[in-house]
Amino acid sequence: MCRWSAISKGMAVLWLASACTALAHTRPRYGGTLRVETQADPWQAADSIGRRLVFDSLTRTDGSGAVQPALAVRWKAQNGNHRWEFWLRPGVHFHDGSPLTADRVQQSLERSCKQCPWTSVRALGDSLVFTTASPDPVLPEELARSEYAIAAEDVAGNPVGTGPFRFVSNGNYLLSLAAADDAWQGRPFVDAVEITGRRVVRTQWLDLSAGHADVVDVPVEAVRQAQQERLNVIQSGDCDLLVLSVARNGVLAEDARREAVALAVDRAALYNVIFQKQGEMTASLLPDALTGYGFLFPVARDPARAQGLHGASGGATLMLVAEDMNAAMQLAAERIALNLREAGFHVQVATRSMNAEANGAPDLALKRIHLESADAQAALEQMLAAFGQTLTDESADPAALYRQEASFTQTHQVIPLLYLPRSYAVGARVHGLRLSPDGVPLLADVSLEDAK
Amino acid sequence: MNLRQKILLMFSLTVILAVAAVAWTVSVRVRSMFESLDRDRTAALVNQFVHEYERRGDEVGQRVDRMTKDERVARMAYDLAHGGDASMYVTEAAALAQEYELDYLELLQPDGSIVSSAQWPAHFGYKEPAIASAGQPFFLKEEVLGQDPSEIGLFVVRAVPGAESGLDIVAGERLDSAFLENLSTPAGSSLYLYRNAASGFGAGSLIGAGGVVADAARYAGVIDHARASGGQSSARVTTGDGESLNLTAIPLKSANGSVIAVLLVANSRKELVEAQQHIRAIAYGVASVGILFAILVSLWIAASVSRPVEQLARAAREVTAGDWEVQVPVASRDEVGLLAEAFNRMTQELVSQRERLVQSERVAAWRELARRLAHELKNPLFPLQLTVENMIRAKKMSPEMFEEVFTEGVTALTDEIANLKTIIGRFSDFSKMPKPQVTELDLRDVLTRVIRLYQPTLEQREHPIEIVSKLPADPLPVSVDAELMHRAISNLVLNSMDAMPEGGTLTITAVRKDKNVRTTIADTGHGMTAEECERLFTPYYTTKQQGTGLGLAIVQSVIADHHGAIVVESNPGRGTAFVIDLPGVSAGSGESA
Repeated sequence: MCRWSAISKGMAVLWLASACTALAHTRPRYGGTLRVETQADPWQAADSIGRRLVFDSLTRTDGSGAVQPALAVRWKAQNGNHRWEFWLRPGVHFHDGSPLTADRVQQSLERSCKQCPWTSVRALGDSLVFTTASPDPVLPEELARSEYAIAAEDVAGNPVGTGPFRFVSNGNYLLSLAAADDAWQGRPFVDAVEITGRRVVRTQWLDLSAGHADVVDVPVEAVRQAQQERLNVIQSGDCDLLVLSVARNGVLAEDARREAVALAVDRAALYNVIFQKQGEMTASLLPDALTGYGFLFPVARDPARAQGLHGASGGATLMLVAEDMNAAMQLAAERIALNLREAGFHVQVATRSMNAEANGAPDLALKRIHLESADAQAALEQMLAAFGQTLTDESADPAALYRQEASFTQTHQVIPLLYLPRSYAVGARVHGLRLSPDGVPLLADVSLEDAK
Repeated sequence: MNLRQKILLMFSLTVILAVAAVAWTVSVRVRSMFESLDRDRTAALVNQFVHEYERRGDEVGQRVDRMTKDERVARMAYDLAHGGDASMYVTEAAALAQEYELDYLELLQPDGSIVSSAQWPAHFGYKEPAIASAGQPFFLKEEVLGQDPSEIGLFVVRAVPGAESGLDIVAGERLDSAFLENLSTPAGSSLYLYRNAASGFGAGSLIGAGGVVADAARYAGVIDHARASGGQSSARVTTGDGESLNLTAIPLKSANGSVIAVLLVANSRKELVEAQQHIRAIAYGVASVGILFAILVSLWIAASVSRPVEQLARAAREVTAGDWEVQVPVASRDEVGLLAEAFNRMTQELVSQRERLVQSERVAAWRELARRLAHELKNPLFPLQLTVENMIRAKKMSPEMFEEVFTEGVTALTDEIANLKTIIGRFSDFSKMPKPQVTELDLRDVLTRVIRLYQPTLEQREHPIEIVSKLPADPLPVSVDAELMHRAISNLVLNSMDAMPEGGTLTITAVRKDKNVRTTIADTGHGMTAEECERLFTPYYTTKQQGTGLGLAIVQSVIADHHGAIVVESNPGRGTAFVIDLPGVSAGSGESA
């Protein structure tokens, strides 16, 4: 009897010890340098990985897409959503130690305002008052976008923000960030982040395999291959809209011709082959997951009808440009050109430099539009703004949104093709990496396995 | 055209025709030779192309065969045969093409749908008809690449081996400038490839070893003909820099027999053109030398033939002009020489005949003179004789009768002796006409004096004669002996008076005629016959019952001594006109014209 109880006790001790060890392993550790490699420039774009780590916006969207406080703790709409007041979080400092004030926030927003939804912003004590020309019920969601992040400069001219990481240096496409010990969100686990940009995907994967990189890009068309190569791939929801922008002049001035373009494009080939069944085919501006009415936009092609709408053969040659030099985009552009030729169009696929030499806007442009907003109305407003349009109905009602979206897509100025996710491969020593709803890695929450 | 020019023309034509015939014959022969050379060169180039084509085809086949044994390809084939996702391999063809150094590579599923295409990545899912050519060693195919100009390639089709293979490979190499560069072409020859099966002619589709051929439009005709006919076509073109080329277009056909490309062989005709130019230059040179020779020959012939003939002609003209003593040189013993000798004999004969004629005329004139003299003298001598006989008979009569007869006889003798003296005086005057003492005077003065002298006499006759004077207002300067000229004009006036016994009109006209002064004395008398006109100026010829017949001879002599001429124009019953031409004196020069 005693022997069995001793054995039992011993086994219990052993089990406890292993559990503790396991717990010790899963608990995040501070320290280490997170090495990220990417194809894009790590700092240039407003929604780049680096800027997201250094700057904060007044609001943010959580994992479910709901808007949450960030630098602003609360806000209030007035005057039928024409006037908004946002109160700043107290005690927040920039990385150079200067306080976050309403004036500095106002200055930052005024600098970043290009097609901003407000007509004016002014500091009022520790709050900011936004005035809009038309009622804007989704201003808080819009302010969460990275383009409205609050940025400043220190006396040396270096960028300073309020994010979890502070800017250290940027040169030769190597961006160095250091953890901000007094970040209002709390100090990140890693001590530093090094982001190497303009890195070829194959080289990134090799670095990942060799342990020289922790987080690398996985282009959506290479996800299956990455999985076949046993890379640890994480993927966001559909956040990039692949769209064909159609000019409204020249050969495409007629509505029928533009409709013919829309009917000629074979989305299935793009989805099944080029983008390896990642994402989803779409004919709507917003993903079905966001709106629920995406299925109402037909995606099937009708080449016979396209040919009929095109009319007699002939006409000027259309210039089709893929704005992204990525191989998959180029291939997609070639495939679209092939579809259009079958419908009777003369199409030439050009690079952006060739088109620049031709001195004019392309007739057709294949582009990717990144969807930051997780709110349908805000997302639609963002999408329309990308094409110089605005919401005509401020109602957030899905039916109203559908009508506005349908009204715009029926002009065939924009032909949505696919919604694509973003994907990354993660090294073994990385823990806790998640992607934001718009597909950006949330590096502030990452810890490293071997950090001391 | 004279003899020299005719000879020159004949010789020149002979030389030119001979040279032209030779040059043409040589040129034709040379052209034939070059054309044969051109055919041989073309055939050699085509053979070289075919050889290289076959070699490349075998090479491509070997590379594709190695590819079919590649583990990746085998794995792909197996995966696809077992329902694998073809989209996974959409970029495989590009990598394989690069690895196996192929310009074209398409991976096909057994139904011919493209899994991956290296040359046209966006063409996945479409059917590739070339799969029907599986089993052929290699074949030509046109590769259409969207909006880009189509290309021509050398293709093979292979199935990835294995009972469960789900993959076919269509691969090939581009027929481009690099392909043509590998062919060695002789100098003056070029090999071009037209790579376009479309209906219209695409200038950018004609390539050579150096790339796209400039100014390809000039080859369009022969290429289009080869494409349309499906057979070999030939033509000749001239390039922009003036070079002439012989073109031979050979259609290249795909596996299904349609013409998808044209092989163009261009051989320069520069050598032939240069040879022809050389022949032409030589021909021109020889012709020029020949013509020069012809000129020299014609000159020589002219010297030996035409000059003597011209001399003969000139001599004949001189004979016509009156110089019968002209002789031509006899420079040869040929026909021309004989002709010259004959001419000389003729002129000598003419001269001797003229001398005999002159002599006989002189004799005749002497006889005529003697006859006339005898006739003139006989008339007064007969009464003289009768008178003397009367006086002899009267001697026998009484002194009173003898005195009367003697007185009458002496009177008659004196008259007849005076008559004889007159007759002899006239003959003496004619025989010793004085030399004219010329002075420059106005002929109008001489004529006016004559008119004034005879006008009263003519107007006071029983049947008056009207004198009409038509003298110009301007002077008529001549160098004449005034007295002799007065006598001559007076003689003519008296003759006119004698010709108009019933009256009439005497018209005296004087005008300047070229360099002469023409005086016309015309009457409206009974006129003369042509025979009378012909003999009018012969001494002792007269139509009058009384007259010595020396008047007009004296007039002619006077006129001739003044270097003038006198002619008579007469019609019986209508009158007679004497026309005297005297040399005029130029104004201010003082010399006779």
